[in-house]
Amino acid sequence: MRIGIMSFAHLHAEAYIHNLRANPGVEMIGLADEEHARARHFAGLFNARLYPSYEAMLAEQPDGVLVCSENANHRPLVELAAHAGVHILSEKPLATTLADAQAIVDVCRNAGVILMTAFPMRFSAPILEVKAQLDDGSLGQIYACNTTNQGQMPIKHRPWFVDKQLAGGGAVMDHIVHLADLLRWYLGSEVVEVYAQTNHTQSVHAGTVEVETGGLVMLTFANGVFASIDCSWSKPLNYPTWGGLTMELISERGLTVIDAFSQNLNIYNQRQNSHYWSYWGSDANQGMVNEFVEAIREQRPPIVTGEDGYKALEVALAVYASAAVGQPVTLPLS
Amino acid sequence: MRVGIAGVGFMGSTHAAGWVETEATIAGFLAQPPAQAAALARQYGARVYPDYEAMLADVDVVDICTPTHLHYDMVLKAAAAGKQIICEKPLGRTLTQGREMVAACRAAGVKLLVAHVVRFFPEYAQARAVVANGDIGQPAVVRLTRGTFRPKKAADNWFVEFDKSGGMMLDLMIHDFDYARWLAGEVESVFAKNISSRHPNAPVDYGLAILKHRNGAISHVEGSWAYPPPLFRTRFEIAGADGFLEFDSGRMAAISLHLHQQAAEAPDVPLPSSPLRESPYTTEIKTFYHALAHNAPTPVSAADGLAALQIALAAIQSAQTGVAVTLEPLPEVAA
Repeated sequence: MRIGIMSFAHLHAEAYIHNLRANPGVEMIGLADEEHARARHFAGLFNARLYPSYEAMLAEQPDGVLVCSENANHRPLVELAAHAGVHILSEKPLATTLADAQAIVDVCRNAGVILMTAFPMRFSAPILEVKAQLDDGSLGQIYACNTTNQGQMPIKHRPWFVDKQLAGGGAVMDHIVHLADLLRWYLGSEVVEVYAQTNHTQSVHAGTVEVETGGLVMLTFANGVFASIDCSWSKPLNYPTWGGLTMELISERGLTVIDAFSQNLNIYNQRQNSHYWSYWGSDANQGMVNEFVEAIREQRPPIVTGEDGYKALEVALAVYASAAVGQPVTLPLS
Repeated sequence: MRVGIAGVGFMGSTHAAGWVETEATIAGFLAQPPAQAAALARQYGARVYPDYEAMLADVDVVDICTPTHLHYDMVLKAAAAGKQIICEKPLGRTLTQGREMVAACRAAGVKLLVAHVVRFFPEYAQARAVVANGDIGQPAVVRLTRGTFRPKKAADNWFVEFDKSGGMMLDLMIHDFDYARWLAGEVESVFAKNISSRHPNAPVDYGLAILKHRNGAISHVEGSWAYPPPLFRTRFEIAGADGFLEFDSGRMAAISLHLHQQAAEAPDVPLPSSPLRESPYTTEIKTFYHALAHNAPTPVSAADGLAALQIALAAIQSAQTGVAVTLEPLPEVAA
């Protein structure tokens, strides 16, 4: 199976290229990127074939592509690929507006191609283990969830992450969709109400950006469960890792705590005066890429769909709507 | 200085253990019925008062460790009698009560010290000092957790009666509402959800609140009476303009016991503990004693107790109504 990468704007492409090559059934055919300097840099770095344009890559009729452009630029690349009849794994958030997200879902449906949203945490081993316990009833009824997806501000990786036009926002747009998706999946219920407070004026990365760096969110689901999400870019640049994702579930049986990125070694290097965590847990990205490949091979919908990407984006946009008025807003957004 | 302790439950006995470390004299105890005070009175060589009036006639300071709904009457009577007052948190059951209590004590010229003991826990006091020192900059996003099991008592379990205790959000989360305000300043609005607002008969309660502070900081406060006994966890995390600090009682425990199961049950009311040379409750009582004996400023004023009460009641209101509640600035707090 032949798969290529459209755009290296998102840093996750740097991980996915390894995941594609690690799948024995995949031929990673190369990459294309409209920013030619970036394209040459990563093609050289990863010793990958460089296509002169997206169209040139699609003309080779790959089975699938990974779309890793800036959040606001997923739609044009998805449309190109869908029209070429190529299956698509799109980086998250699926888009920055509901209109774009709907257009992405529609064009793929009409073209009959698979659309998967890149929510790798669905393939995290700790997250999957608790999902199994939820499903077999061993936790009992869920009452509430307290979740976090915090991190360092990603400006050091790609400046566009803090560009409101290209990213669609800051910490909210970067982080809310992961937990919005996991909670929908865990609870088997849709979000009906969102309350949020955001700030940026005095956060650790203050003064450097206009987008929000802090956010606290409360979701209410149709089944009555309430869940909070902390999406803040609150980890300083000398924190021992990039950030993390945690979920605490309050249920009939008690408390379940998931720290999805806790499987680390503590490393102290005296010469470099450094302390960092070295992750040894399973690679969730690999599971996600493998699922995309399996879905193509079996010609079936992937575990995580474009609709899931739309729903998660809707929650993120509701966060902005609530933060603007200081009161909860109801979903679906009109 | 003669001190009378009203209430002989966990707080009454814990405060007594603090008072014996001061120059004050524990004059006596009050309980309902009075005979329940006999054991503590014997332990400390103190009297058993037949009623509150007898206690007021015999002491300089009253230490009110009774259930929340009784605080109001007892504080008003003590103020009228010109006694100095220590009152367990929450200050009162309603904001109207709390404001009257503060006004009565101001009019009578007596001190009203509210026992927000979390301010005396060294990890919390030190984190506040680190923030006040500017080591992590102005707080931006604060996360506070206090979680345990629902208090249980063989008889008269007033904790679980909403009219008496105000429930988990007023009894437990008020600790962290007070701490959030101490750390990040006055609170502008509160949005909260809890289990009992939706499932009144649930055997547990659990709540989440989002506070917006007037200076732009935001706080996430988590409170639980939903954990299995004997678990008691506290955590905090403060992200500031220049850095970040975190504490987790589980991950930073100085002692972890993993013993073969005994028949022993968990205590009725869990008290947080980390091995220390002095109990934070004793630190609190010593500080209060010093404030009273030397007319010194105290780290927890009556206004602080009132402000924390206002935040907790707003959280309850938000959980019951489903909307964010804006807090009106209180003149007592501003003054």
